[in-house]
Amino acid sequence: MKKAGKVHKPITTRKRLFLFVLFGWLLLILGDRVGDLELYQGSFVATYALGITSVILLTGYSGQLSLGQSALMAVGAYAGALSIFNAGWHPVIGLIMSALVAGVFGLVLGLVAARLSGPYLAGTTLALAISLPTLANQFPILGAEEGIVFDVGLPPARFGDDFSQYKWFFWISALAALIMVFFIVNLLSSRFGRTFKAVRDNPVAAQLAGINVGRLKVNAFAISSGVAGLSGGLLVMLISGVSPSAFPLSLSFSLLGAAVVTGLYSLKGVILGGLVLVAIPEIADSLVSRIGGSEGFTTVLPGFIVSALLILAVVFTPNGPGHLLKKHH
Amino acid sequence: MKRAILASAIVATSAMVLSTVPAHADSTGVTATSIKLGVSTPLTGSAGLVYGKVPGAMRAYFDYINANGGVNGRKISLVIRDDKYLPTLAATQTTNLILKDKVFALVGALGTATHSKAYTAAALAKNNVPDLFINTGFSGFTNKAKYPTTFMVLPTYNMEAKVMAKVIKDNFPGQATFMIAQDDEFGSDGVAGFTTAGHKFTASPTLYPQGTMTAARAEGALATLGAVPGKPVLVLFGTTDVTAIILKAAEKLELTKKFTFLAGSVGADANTLLALGVKSTTVDGVISASFMPDAKDLTDPYVKQFIDINTKYNKGITFDNYVLAGMNSAMLTVQALRAAGKNLTRAGLMSAIEAKGSTFASAGLVPLGYSATSRVGYNGYWVSQLNAKGEGKPYGGKLVIYTTDSGAGTVEVSNFVRPTMPKNGIPTNS
Amino acid sequence: MTQFITAVLTSLTSGAIYALMAIAIVLVWRSTRVINFAQAGQAVLTTYIGYTVIQRTGSFWIALVVAVVSGAVIGAVIDRFFMRPIFKRVKSGPIVMIAPVVATLGLLGIIQAVIGFVWGITNQSIEAPVSTGGYKIMGTVIAFSNYNLLVLVFVAIAMLLLTLLFQKTNIGLALRASAYSPEIAKLSGIKVDSVRTLGWAIAGASGGLAGMLYIPGYFLYPNAMDLLLVLGFIAAVIGGLESLFGAVAGAMILGFAIIFSTTYISPKLFFPTAFIVLILVLLVKPAGLFAPKKSRGA
Repeated sequence: MKKAGKVHKPITTRKRLFLFVLFGWLLLILGDRVGDLELYQGSFVATYALGITSVILLTGYSGQLSLGQSALMAVGAYAGALSIFNAGWHPVIGLIMSALVAGVFGLVLGLVAARLSGPYLAGTTLALAISLPTLANQFPILGAEEGIVFDVGLPPARFGDDFSQYKWFFWISALAALIMVFFIVNLLSSRFGRTFKAVRDNPVAAQLAGINVGRLKVNAFAISSGVAGLSGGLLVMLISGVSPSAFPLSLSFSLLGAAVVTGLYSLKGVILGGLVLVAIPEIADSLVSRIGGSEGFTTVLPGFIVSALLILAVVFTPNGPGHLLKKHH
Repeated sequence: MKRAILASAIVATSAMVLSTVPAHADSTGVTATSIKLGVSTPLTGSAGLVYGKVPGAMRAYFDYINANGGVNGRKISLVIRDDKYLPTLAATQTTNLILKDKVFALVGALGTATHSKAYTAAALAKNNVPDLFINTGFSGFTNKAKYPTTFMVLPTYNMEAKVMAKVIKDNFPGQATFMIAQDDEFGSDGVAGFTTAGHKFTASPTLYPQGTMTAARAEGALATLGAVPGKPVLVLFGTTDVTAIILKAAEKLELTKKFTFLAGSVGADANTLLALGVKSTTVDGVISASFMPDAKDLTDPYVKQFIDINTKYNKGITFDNYVLAGMNSAMLTVQALRAAGKNLTRAGLMSAIEAKGSTFASAGLVPLGYSATSRVGYNGYWVSQLNAKGEGKPYGGKLVIYTTDSGAGTVEVSNFVRPTMPKNGIPTNS
Repeated sequence: MTQFITAVLTSLTSGAIYALMAIAIVLVWRSTRVINFAQAGQAVLTTYIGYTVIQRTGSFWIALVVAVVSGAVIGAVIDRFFMRPIFKRVKSGPIVMIAPVVATLGLLGIIQAVIGFVWGITNQSIEAPVSTGGYKIMGTVIAFSNYNLLVLVFVAIAMLLLTLLFQKTNIGLALRASAYSPEIAKLSGIKVDSVRTLGWAIAGASGGLAGMLYIPGYFLYPNAMDLLLVLGFIAAVIGGLESLFGAVAGAMILGFAIIFSTTYISPKLFFPTAFIVLILVLLVKPAGLFAPKKSRGA
C-alpha cells in the first residue's frame, strides 16, 4: 500500500531518451512480425495519437477548448503536399514543413485566441474547422476535392523487395510520432512545462507569481498546432493525397473525444487513444458481421460506441482514468 | 512514465493480431469453391441516393449465377463498402478491400476522383489487383502505364462530349451554348471532348466542386443565363442529384422551356430525376445519350431477363437503369472469370479480357473495345430523349449508334449488332 | 437589380433560420453556461418525428406542431435527466468547462446513431406545404417563393412570442433572473432548477421549428442539421451570447454577409465568409457585438 502523497522520482532526459528508443525498437521488431493490414492500422494509430497529443496540449494543459484541430491538421497536410509535389522537396522536408507551417499558423491563431474565452474560442475554432478545408475549392493550386498527391515514395531499395509500402508508412509515422512526442514530453517536464501546470491549476496565483499567461496560451497554441500539422501530414501520407474531405469537423470531435476518454491531462494515454479511434470501427465491423444487421446499423454503430464511451468517460472519469486509479491508493 | 510506456507497448502488441502467412498473391481471394470480389462505391449521401442500387444489382446477378453452378464450380461473393463519393473514404475503403477483405479483384468502382485516389492509395498496380468495369468514364483510366490493371466499361466522357457536340451542331446550329460541369477530371474530360470536337461555348463552362452546387447557386446561374436571347442549349455534366437541383431551380424561375437541356448520361436517369422531385413536364424533352437499352424497354431480351433476375434475387428493389447497369457489368465479370479458366489467377483474368473481352455478350448496344493494347470498354453512344414517363427514347425517333474514340477521331455512324444473349442470361463461354 | 432583390430576400430567409438555432443556443447558454451541441441532434430528431407524422397524416401543419412540442419535451428531458446529473458529478477542476460540452457532443452522437438505426440512413425528404415557385418582379422571376415568405413569417412570430414571454411575463422574468444571478433568484423564491429546464424546453422548441422550416428545401438525414447548428452557433457568438436580440442580430448579419459574398464575389466563399465575419467581430469586441459591458464571469 502506497502512502498518500508519494514523491515522483524525476526522470532524466537521458533515461527518457533511452526508454523512447527502446520503445521505438520494440515497434520496429513488432512491425516485422505483423501483416500489412496491421501495419496500415498501426500507422493510423500513430497519426491519431499525435492528433490527440495536440488536443491534450491545447485543451488539457493550457485550458483552451478548441474544436479546430482538424483545420490545423489540414494546414499541415496541404503544406506538406505542396512542398513535396509542387516544390519537389524531399518527403522528410515535407513532413517538417507540415509541422512548421501549421505551427506558424497556430501562432497567429493563438494571438487571436488568447483574447477569447470559453465559448467564443470554441465558436471561432469551430468556424475555422468548417471553413478552412473549403478554401481548397477556392484556389486552383489546392486542387479542390481531387486534391494534391502526397507521395513519400517507395521504401529504399536496400530494404529489399519484401519491405512493403505499408511497413514503410508504419516506420515513418511511428518514428515521426515518437520524435514529436519525445520532444513534447521533454518540453512539459521542463520549467516551461511546469508553468503550464501552474496556470491550469490556479491562473490567478500563477499570474501573481509573474507568469505571462497570455504568452503561455499563445505558445501552447503554436506548439499544439505544429503537432497537429505533423499529424495531418502523416494522415494524408496514408491516403496518398490531401483533399478537403480528409478533414471533416467530425475529426476534431473524434480527437477531442478520444482525448477525454484516455485522459485529458496527461500524455500517457495518447497511444491508447489512437488505438481506440482505430479499433472502434473495427470492433463495430466484427460485431455487425456476428449479429448481422441492416445497412443503417453498420454505419451508425461506430459513432454510437464512441459517443457512449465519451459520455461514460465524462460521467465517471472526468479527470481522466488516471485519477480513477489513484483514488484507490 | 516508464510504466506507461511499457503498458502502452503491451496494449499495442496485444491489440494487433498477428497475421497468418498470406496465400500466393496472384490468387488471393480464390479458393476451390469461392471467388471474392469487392467494390467501393457510394451507398449513402446524395450520390448514394442515386447510385446506391448498382452494387446490390451486381450481387443479385452473382447470386443468380451461383444458383446455377457458379463459375467453374466456384461461387462468387461481393464485398460492398460505402465511400460516400468521397475520395478520402474511397482510398481507405479500397485499401481495406485489399488488406482486410483480401478480395481477388475489384469490380465496378465508382467515381472519377474517388477511384483515381483509391487506385493510388491502395497500391492496386503494385499488388496487381484487377480493377474491372469501373463505373466512371474518365478517359485517363485507359492509360495502361498509370492504371495497368484497370478495364473501363463506360464509354469515356470525352467520347460522350464529342457525340453531344455533333448533336448540337446538327440540331441547334444558331443557338447560344453553355455548360455546367463538375470541377474535377470527370467534368474536365467532358469539356476537353467538346474542344476536340471543335465546339466553342458562348461562355466558358461553369465548374463547381463536387457537393457545392446548392439550390441557391443553381438559381443564380440560371437567372443569369435566362437573360440570353433565343433558346440556348445548356449542357449539364454532373451527377444526377445535381442535375435535379439545376432542373428544380429552372422550375422555380419558370425557365424550364427557356433552355434545351443536354444532360450527360451520368446525370440523366429519368426515373431518378422524377424521384428527386423534378416535375415530369421538366424532364420531358431533356436530351441525353446512352449506350444501353432503356430499362423500361420490355421488348429487349436482356432487359426482360434482368428484370426476372431482379424480381427473384433483388427483392424490394425497383428495376431501373442503374440495376440494369449493375447486372450488365456483373454479366461481363462472369464471362471474364469463365474465360480465365479453372486455374484462376489475377494475371490470367486480365489476359483473358484482353484476348476475348470484345466478344463478350452484354446488353450494350455499342461495341466493346478490349484488346491487347486497349482498355476501352464501350466506345459509342446513341442519342436519347427523356419523356414524362421516365423513359429514354431515341432522339428523332430512330436509334442511331455513333462510335468514336477519346482522341481526335471523328464521330461515325455504326452498324453494330450486339451478340445474342446466352440462354437464360447464363454465360457459357470459355 | 433583380439579383440584388433576390440577395436581400434570400439573406433574410437564411438569417431567419440561423436565428432560430442561435436563439436555442443562447437560451441554453444563458441558463446553463453550456454550449449544447446536441441541439443539432434534437432538432433533426424532432424533424424525423415530424416526417413520421406527415407519413401518417399527410399534413405538414400537424407535423409542425408535433415537432415543436416534442422539441420542448426532449429539451426538458435532456436537461433534467442528463445535464443535471453531469453537473452534480463534475464540480471542480479545469474539466468543469469542458465536460458538459463534451457530454453534449457525446449526446449528439448517440441521438444521430439512434435516428440512423430507427429511420435508416438514406436521405428522406419533406415536401414544402406551400408553393416553392418564385415570384415575378419586374417581368423576371426571382428566387423567392411563398415558402420562403412562410419561413420569414414564422420566425417573426416566434421572435415576437419569445420577446413577449421574456419581457412581459413573470415566467420570463424568472428566466432572466435565474440566468443573470441564480443565487439571488433562488433567494427570491424562484425555483431555479425548474426554470432552467424551462429554458431548455424553449430552446428545444425553437430547434424543432428550425428543423421543420429548414429541411423542406434539402434532404433529411441524421446529420442534416449539423451545418445549421454551426452557423447558429457562429451567429450567437457574433451577437454576444447574452441576449436573444443579439442572437437574431448576429444571425441576420451572418446571413447577409454569406449570401452577398456568395452572390457577388464567389460561391465558394460560403464558409470562409462565416469565419471572417466572426473573426472581425471578435477582434473588435471579444465578447460579441451586443454583450453587456460587464459580462458576468469568464
